[in-house]
Amino acid sequence: MAKEMLTGNRAAAWGVRLAEVDYIPAYPITPQTEIIETIAKWISDGEMDAGFVTMDSEHSMITAAGAASATGARTFTTTSSQGLMYGFEMLYTVAGWRVPLVMVNVSRGLSAPITLGPDHNDILALRDTGFLQIHCETCQEVLDSVLMAYRLAEDKRVLLPVMVNMDGFFLSFTREAVEVPDVEAVRCFLPEYQPEHAFFRAGQPMAQGVAVLGGEFYSYFKYQMHLASQNALEVYREVSDDFERIFGRKYGTIDEYMMEDAEYVLVMTNSFSTLGKAAVKRAREKGIKAGLLRPRFLRPFPDSDIRNALKGKKAVAVIDQNISVGKGGIIYSEMAGCLYNEENRPLLLSFIGGLGGKNISQEEFDLIFDKMIRTVDTKVVEPLHLLYTENEWKGITKLKDIAGRQ
Amino acid sequence: MLRLRFHGRGGQGAKVASRVLGSAAFLDGYNAQDFPLYGAERRGAPITAFTRISRDDIMERGLVSQPDVVVVMDETLLLDPQSSPLSGLKKGGVVFVNTPRTPFETKEGYGIEDHVITLDITKVSLDMIGQPVLSSLAAAVAAKVAGIGEKALRDALKKELSAIISEKDLLDRNIEAAIYCYNSVEPISIETTEKVREKENIISIPFETALVSSPSILSRGNTPLRRTGNWRIFRPVWDYDACTKCMTCVARCPEGCIRLNEEGYPFADYENCKGCLICAEECPVGAISKVRESHSQTKEGDQ
Ligand code: SF4
Ligand code: SF4
Repeated sequence: MAKEMLTGNRAAAWGVRLAEVDYIPAYPITPQTEIIETIAKWISDGEMDAGFVTMDSEHSMITAAGAASATGARTFTTTSSQGLMYGFEMLYTVAGWRVPLVMVNVSRGLSAPITLGPDHNDILALRDTGFLQIHCETCQEVLDSVLMAYRLAEDKRVLLPVMVNMDGFFLSFTREAVEVPDVEAVRCFLPEYQPEHAFFRAGQPMAQGVAVLGGEFYSYFKYQMHLASQNALEVYREVSDDFERIFGRKYGTIDEYMMEDAEYVLVMTNSFSTLGKAAVKRAREKGIKAGLLRPRFLRPFPDSDIRNALKGKKAVAVIDQNISVGKGGIIYSEMAGCLYNEENRPLLLSFIGGLGGKNISQEEFDLIFDKMIRTVDTKVVEPLHLLYTENEWKGITKLKDIAGRQ
Repeated sequence: MLRLRFHGRGGQGAKVASRVLGSAAFLDGYNAQDFPLYGAERRGAPITAFTRISRDDIMERGLVSQPDVVVVMDETLLLDPQSSPLSGLKKGGVVFVNTPRTPFETKEGYGIEDHVITLDITKVSLDMIGQPVLSSLAAAVAAKVAGIGEKALRDALKKELSAIISEKDLLDRNIEAAIYCYNSVEPISIETTEKVREKENIISIPFETALVSSPSILSRGNTPLRRTGNWRIFRPVWDYDACTKCMTCVARCPEGCIRLNEEGYPFADYENCKGCLICAEECPVGAISKVRESHSQTKEGDQ
């Protein structure tokens, strides 16, 4: 096991290579392209043995991936942002087929206006499709999560597709030291897929994802997906224990940073959590009992782990790197839903930061801690706050001038 | 932690420079992170890339807004308000500028207060490699400034460049030129403790109607405000004795910036010619030659 400098994209590609994936339908979109380029090169150089097909769109790509997965082939594909939206219809379909496809999404804000910077509105839009969702903070975590995703997806108590998410640019193009596991160790952790239910073959006619007329049938199938997704929490404990035993790295359904005695907790997902952790450290130096909780799974939502982690905390600030227009932060709503029936639940504050990759400054984190402390004193919870600085406001004003919008 | 920011033009190799430095730091036993900002950019447009080097865990991500070291691979960027390479540079920080001018002239010329190092790496590149590829040279200068060892730099160059250069001879010349640059720069110690940034005030954004707040552009024709022709390394120059007026160059120019004079001979609008030299490549009679630009002589770049 050697460490080397890898981008998040290459780390994802390594995960796919080590998982000895059979089939990869592909369609490139920034900032995901490097994953596809890397895999394509490995295959053409003979370093990786898999079927690789370039498709005409994400819609076809996800269809092909789901169909291949239904034959029992270990399948991978990847997309980002608008591409994910273009294939959106098929995500529901493929999840309904109950196939163990693994996809990587490289998060990027959705148009309009067009941006390449990351936020999570793309991946969170598919919250309800039936795909499980793992969100990553580091390049190492991307590689490791791809391996764990296959174990989870292929487990017969689950059999749902899994999406592994990483931020565009801040992970996808950022290189940091990543440990690339040995093939043999990976084979121990992730043996060849032995499909029990997938036998979609030319010579063996069957129908997958059939039409059912009548809500009683439809309800049955949908609820079964929900139960399978819930099972994934239990199955994941086994998966992550095995992973830790073999590779020495431990990943829970949530990541807790300085949470033990924390009173004021930030909730963040994905790569900007690193900035949150630095802010927690700084707050600790000032004597604030700060901590950070990062949900790694958003589907299934790790309700009980989150409730346990937040027992006895005074205030929780959710920083959403997404916006549900007309409602606010998506993860804030999820957290509120998770905590509502708790007796001594912490006060819950909502912030939106980092949309389209906008930086979250030290002062913005300071403001969040100030607000948490003040809210605990006054018990008056203010509505959501968009993190935005005066300088940034000056910048947008200038731009509006140039565009003739003032 | 040392934070370095590279400013270059698309195609000059800022991204590769940040990676070579990242790898060199990693091989020298540091924690490192490198990261380019690109995607929508095109050849010649301002590009930034970043490297963070630390003995401790790197608890940062994304853009480096307060660098300790700025590497300016294209001098004309110093005058580009959008790129503004010096923004956020910490007091006590170091600026490297790729220019034939001395550090003193550069400081004076651009009003830079910080420690300036200069070296004409474009010239080194043309002399030693035979083409203007600056990535390894800029990385080498940055490695020296950052205090990275020569062996780690050499190994990093080999690793990163062999992924993009297949020709052994070219690879060797790149490494040789890089090491030459590494040794041409005096070692310095960087002392950046002070932050230059003002405290950020956080505000609440008010409602504005869609007439003001939707992302559309109402003021037409603002492209001439932004000259795109100031980053040429070579400019195309026409020889009308040889030119047959075949119009091939006019048709092939990707910028559409070749026009015709009164006698029907082509000439370039140097405000927008980016110096790709496709015209020279395509001219069937070789009537277009390339002439080295000397930005440093005039601030504007074009005489
Ligand atoms: S070098 Fe020639 S082809 Fe290229 S932009 Fe200038 S005029 Fe056009
Ligand atoms: S391609 Fe050469 S010969 Fe033809 S018009 Fe241009 S300069 Fe003249």
